[in-house]
Amino acid sequence: MATLIGKIRFIAGALALAFLIAIAAPASPASAQVNPTASAVKEQQLLNQLQGGVISGRVSIPDQKSANLIHPAGREWRRFHEVTLVWLGGIVIVGMIALLVIFFLWRGRIPIEGGRSGRKILRFTGFERFVHWLTATCFVLLGITGLNITFGKRLLLPIMDAHAFSEWSEFAKFVHNYISFGFTVGVLLMFLMWVGQNFPTAADAEWIKRGGGILSKKGGDHPPAWKFNAGQKMLYWLVTLGSIAMIVSGFILMFPFYGGLNIGNMELAQVFHGVVAMLFVAMILAHIYLGTVGMEGAFEAMGEGTVDENWAKAHHPLWAKEEAARGPRGHEPLVTPAE
Amino acid sequence: MLIKRTERQARRSALAASLPGQSGSGFDRRTFLRRSGLAAGALATIGALPLATVRKAEAAGPNVAGATIRKNFCTHCSVGCTVMAEVSNGVWVGQEPGWESPINRGSHCAKGAATRELVHGDRRLRYPMKLVNGQWQRISWDAAINEIGDKMMEIRAKSGAESVYWLGSAKFTNEQAYLCRKLAAFWGTNNVDHQARICHSTTVAGVANTWGYGAMTNSYNDIRNSKTIIFMGSNAAEAHPVSLQHILTGKEINRANVFVIEPRMTRTAAHATEYVRIRSGTDIPIIWGMLWHIFKNGWEDKEFIRQRVYGMDDVRKEVEKWDPAEVERVTGVPEAQLKRVAETFAKQKPSTFIWCMGATQHTIGTANVRAICILLLATGSVGGPGSGANIFRGHTNVQGATDLGLDVTSLPLYYGLDAGAWNHWARVWEVDYNYLKGRFDDPKLMETSGIPSTRWHDATLLPKDKVAQKDNLRAMFIMGHGGNTVTRMPETAKAIEKLELLVVADPVPTTWAVLSERKNGTYLLPACTSYEVDGSRTASNRSLQWGEQIVKPIFESKNDLEIMYLLAKKLGFADSMFKNIKVEGNLPSAEDVLREINRGGWSTGYCGQSPERLKAHAKNQAKFDIVTLRAPADDPEVGGDYYGLPWPCWGTPAMKHPGTPILYNPSLAVKDGGGTFRARFGNEREEKAADGTVTKVSLLGDGYYSKDSEIKDGYPQFTYGVLKKLGWDKDLTDAERAVIERIGGGPDKSDGVAWSTDLSGGIQRVAILHNCIPYGNGKARANAWNLPDPVPVHREPIYTPRPDLVAKYPTRPDAVQFRVPNIGFTVQKAAVDKGIAKQFPLILTSGRLVEYEGGGEETRSNKWLAELQQDMFIEINPADAAERGITDGGWVWVTGAEDSAKAKMKALVTERVGKGVTWCPFHFAGWYQGVDQRAKYPKGADPVVLGESVNTLTTYGYDPVTGMQEPKATLCQVRAA
Amino acid sequence: MARMKFLCDADRCIECNACVTACKNENEVPWGINRRRVVTLNDGKPGERSVSMACMHCTDAPCAAVCPVNCFYTTADAVVLHSKDLCIGCGYCFYACPFGAPQYPKVGNFGSRGKMDKCTFCAGGPEADGSKEEFEKYGSNRLAEGKLPLCAEMCSTKSLLAGDGDVIAQIYKERVTKRGYGSGAWGWQTAYRESIAI
Repeated sequence: MATLIGKIRFIAGALALAFLIAIAAPASPASAQVNPTASAVKEQQLLNQLQGGVISGRVSIPDQKSANLIHPAGREWRRFHEVTLVWLGGIVIVGMIALLVIFFLWRGRIPIEGGRSGRKILRFTGFERFVHWLTATCFVLLGITGLNITFGKRLLLPIMDAHAFSEWSEFAKFVHNYISFGFTVGVLLMFLMWVGQNFPTAADAEWIKRGGGILSKKGGDHPPAWKFNAGQKMLYWLVTLGSIAMIVSGFILMFPFYGGLNIGNMELAQVFHGVVAMLFVAMILAHIYLGTVGMEGAFEAMGEGTVDENWAKAHHPLWAKEEAARGPRGHEPLVTPAE
Repeated sequence: MLIKRTERQARRSALAASLPGQSGSGFDRRTFLRRSGLAAGALATIGALPLATVRKAEAAGPNVAGATIRKNFCTHCSVGCTVMAEVSNGVWVGQEPGWESPINRGSHCAKGAATRELVHGDRRLRYPMKLVNGQWQRISWDAAINEIGDKMMEIRAKSGAESVYWLGSAKFTNEQAYLCRKLAAFWGTNNVDHQARICHSTTVAGVANTWGYGAMTNSYNDIRNSKTIIFMGSNAAEAHPVSLQHILTGKEINRANVFVIEPRMTRTAAHATEYVRIRSGTDIPIIWGMLWHIFKNGWEDKEFIRQRVYGMDDVRKEVEKWDPAEVERVTGVPEAQLKRVAETFAKQKPSTFIWCMGATQHTIGTANVRAICILLLATGSVGGPGSGANIFRGHTNVQGATDLGLDVTSLPLYYGLDAGAWNHWARVWEVDYNYLKGRFDDPKLMETSGIPSTRWHDATLLPKDKVAQKDNLRAMFIMGHGGNTVTRMPETAKAIEKLELLVVADPVPTTWAVLSERKNGTYLLPACTSYEVDGSRTASNRSLQWGEQIVKPIFESKNDLEIMYLLAKKLGFADSMFKNIKVEGNLPSAEDVLREINRGGWSTGYCGQSPERLKAHAKNQAKFDIVTLRAPADDPEVGGDYYGLPWPCWGTPAMKHPGTPILYNPSLAVKDGGGTFRARFGNEREEKAADGTVTKVSLLGDGYYSKDSEIKDGYPQFTYGVLKKLGWDKDLTDAERAVIERIGGGPDKSDGVAWSTDLSGGIQRVAILHNCIPYGNGKARANAWNLPDPVPVHREPIYTPRPDLVAKYPTRPDAVQFRVPNIGFTVQKAAVDKGIAKQFPLILTSGRLVEYEGGGEETRSNKWLAELQQDMFIEINPADAAERGITDGGWVWVTGAEDSAKAKMKALVTERVGKGVTWCPFHFAGWYQGVDQRAKYPKGADPVVLGESVNTLTTYGYDPVTGMQEPKATLCQVRAA
Repeated sequence: MARMKFLCDADRCIECNACVTACKNENEVPWGINRRRVVTLNDGKPGERSVSMACMHCTDAPCAAVCPVNCFYTTADAVVLHSKDLCIGCGYCFYACPFGAPQYPKVGNFGSRGKMDKCTFCAGGPEADGSKEEFEKYGSNRLAEGKLPLCAEMCSTKSLLAGDGDVIAQIYKERVTKRGYGSGAWGWQTAYRESIAI
């Protein structure tokens, strides 16, 4: 990444400069003539030495970031923010939507094989659903308010009054900042809650080999899966890692320059936040698709907490067997509604 | 009463509404912008003129409407920058650049550009306050003056008049300074002093003892003519930033050589062509080392020395001791470098030498100054454009306050303290000499120097019999003087506690209010700033500038003139003291005070600067040339004048002398501001040779004279008798003759009436009529026989990092000076014996920050400035810091060599200081030995920024000539906190 | 039409901070907001130079480009200004700015930033020239009064130049030619993609 390379260059440049200064500095008054006018630092020379790093010096005010005199890397960040990120985001998000549409047109809604049995199995407890929906709601809000930063002025501003857009954006900023705490809590709970069921098992290899069975147009291919199939496990881990990335970079952005972070760190955090966010949004779009229109009987799992036995047998055969063996627990109607 | 922001906005909108662009006349914004775009074509004619001029041509035009512009002068340093204040409804709402001033041409430094806040001052003292059992209580002015006056009279009855100390201010206007000295005289003491004691007292003594007057010989502007400039002990970039405008321009145009000789790589050094790092306190070896090369190679100006200098051979003998090896051993400067500096200075002329407190604030301050003067004399570098001793003074009016006698050794204008001086001023004041004599405890003390401000704490704390007056000091009356600027602050703290009465008249409470554990007997009187009064101030270049009141004194603050009048009234001598000064309400007229100064100020040429002339100068600033400072001869109001009528401005105002922009400049006629060295030290001197033979040597100029002089040789100072001998007495008018004979006491007894005591100005007028200078044409002295070291001798600081050198270069023996003992020798010996230099291995030196001034209370109370320097710090070399585990920005404890002094501050790890050297700014106060004293300030009057004072750590050491303290070369130790 | 620029002649700058306090004075800038500052490079070492820096009013300003609400605009004199009514205090302009010009008052909890504040070239903001609202939000509008920014006008050594880019470049060039040295027009390459050839 340009910024990273820039950083390394900066460090090298700074060392080179320090060396130059060290050899230029007088060891004692006994050294030769020092002509401050002739030996003055020159901008071009510093820029060349620093190779795009930061020209910084000393200031007496406490705000140490003001000691950076010139920071040409802002330009690279600008290109990232205004070009790279916009294209990247546009491509992955629009691309994902397009992909899903095509997939839907090709595969249609995947029905429950053998139709509904009428027997329900408890798939997610109320707490699990609460955690999921807490996280999901936060994610959607964060996604919309976050995307507004990148795409708002391109998509909304042309059709909105500038002041209204500004007010919406400021509101969105606050929402984004505050909701981040809810998201953090949700992700944390989700991680703890499901981590035990998401370690890879032998069945996952088989599942992956068969592409989850989803690519079979005529259906009927049901690779083995426990409560979470390999695809869901991948999603789980991607969500966990992605969220950590978002949370860490997000908090850095929310508490700018704390803990000795400099402008380069801040830019890096923003780049990271932006890129991961776009990929994350795209991934979750796929998740939403599969959980709703993509597959008959899937939404109920998170909606009501129960699934049809036949659905379970088809998609999570090992888990279904396990549940059946465990007894009638899941056959009773749920007391608490999903939400 | 203060509605600054809303007022300001109102004014701004009014201004915009009345813009000519919008009313259809003049040029609008677009026109202006177009024009400034077009200006590129016209630039060839403007040459390298800086922006100010360009812009002025484009966008001139006074502020259109809404606010009135009032002109005053920055109160922060001696450069004398014009402050243009926009005033609306009695509120100072904005500042504009004073383009017309030849001194600053619109520019300011951080302080000048923030000076409006000084007057608004949220942190200023609002009303008189009194300490009652450790609590501040608001009281009325009447009550304050009554209680203070009663207590003073009580002390006077018990301990004598000399037990009250009058500490005046370099921030006074001339009128206030003069009146303060007069107040002390009427009270009956010479214990009256001000900041000059601790900044340039040694300069004044050293320079005056060399060639006559104790002041900067040239001007800031004149440095534009210099080809070689040496800064030694001056960091003008921080202390006098606007002066750098002239210096850097001159440097650029002339491709001048700029040397900075300093223990510290300063912001000034960054713009030098060569930086020379020396050890603190080794100025004389440096100068003698330069002269060694100069004499050895014959680079001296032999003709100049022959005609104009006395005693240079005595100097040669001393200089011979300072061969390059010894110089390097003592100072650390290698031969090649110093030779290069010496050769450049001697050959690439005109050369000027600039010094400040780095040279003056030493036990050998006067000798340092003398050595520099001798270097200038040896190279013929004084008395012409681009040359001279350019002594940058510190405060806004420290030159004027010094001139006007806020000094323990003199009455106003350097008349001294002898009977002649008292008689002169008694005549000016129209009071009986015997009345004044009667005011003193002891008539002998009337003619004895008082106690310098550096020793006030000793005079308070020492056993009574050690203080050569009736009693210790019992009361301090302080008007605009910080308490943290005097060294040995632990002593200050003790002494403040011991005082019976402490009065502080100041815009802010100052360190005095909080340093000690006093519980009672303390009064704070809100004085206003110079922006809230009318009056003149003398810049470092001796130009007087008349500032007009910008706003009325805010809150309950009062003009110092009024405070002094109220006190004089209470003390019972207001009628005689203000006999010739109009008092309206309780406010004496500044104009009248200046007129009184004019009537008595002959000795220094303060006689020609009437308020009317000064006001005309302020009004016509644009007409003065930026280099020569002269207005065109044909101007109706200020024709031919030099800006601010730099003293000496001879004769009565009616004589229209233009002032003297360059002292001792024989290339101009006296009537045009020319002159010669002053014949101040007699006409001849008896020299005793080793074999006992006595020869008389003339001290008058030898075959040199100023332009058009009718006497083509040296001549003594003019008296009535000299005029008679020359037959020029016939040129006197009858009225003048009558005045002279009245002063002398009769026609036959008046021969002794001199140019300096003739109240008619006739003697001066006639001398100048013949193009002779009234003070005579004498030689400057390389040998000043009346000083302790007639030829300067290097002496190690009391606390030297080189105890090995003390045996060879000891400080002077103990002696009683200024009524108190100076035991420097004993202290130095003890320090060497005890191995202090091992326990405290780092040199501690101090200096100025651009954001703050002096003790700093006022500037640290200004939020715009305070934001820029929020912590007291010590600069320490990276090597020393690494040894001690100190990090940049980390807290450290600094310990001093006396009184177990310690101070907590931040470390600034930097190569500005060399290894073994530390540096602290001297502006901080409000912390004492690690304790934050904020709670002790009156509520709401605490400065924004507080910090440890460096003077908590500074140590013993006093110049024998002036009592100057030693804050520039002492020792300390630093450890991480 | 003029193209306004700043140029700091580092060979004249003595870090006196007049520009900083002049700015505070003229625009009543609150504590903690530093529209202008002086940075000293190589502090205490040979070759030390100080440079006064504020918003350079860049050509194709990065701050304007990255602003998510497009609150920046460029005046006819090429001064880059912004609307505090539109600004949402996101802080992105600070990341993009090569000169560290944007400042944010601390409002509320945890680093949440108020409306951005920066040097206006003493040209106010979108409100009517010289209006009370303009002054409250942005400070003075000296350009409208036919004056240049006070920081440059009050510069102690005439180091900081403000005005039409061609004019000040010419002044700088002539200075450098006359004195024989110059450390460069600091920031010009970055801000205007041009350097002053001498």
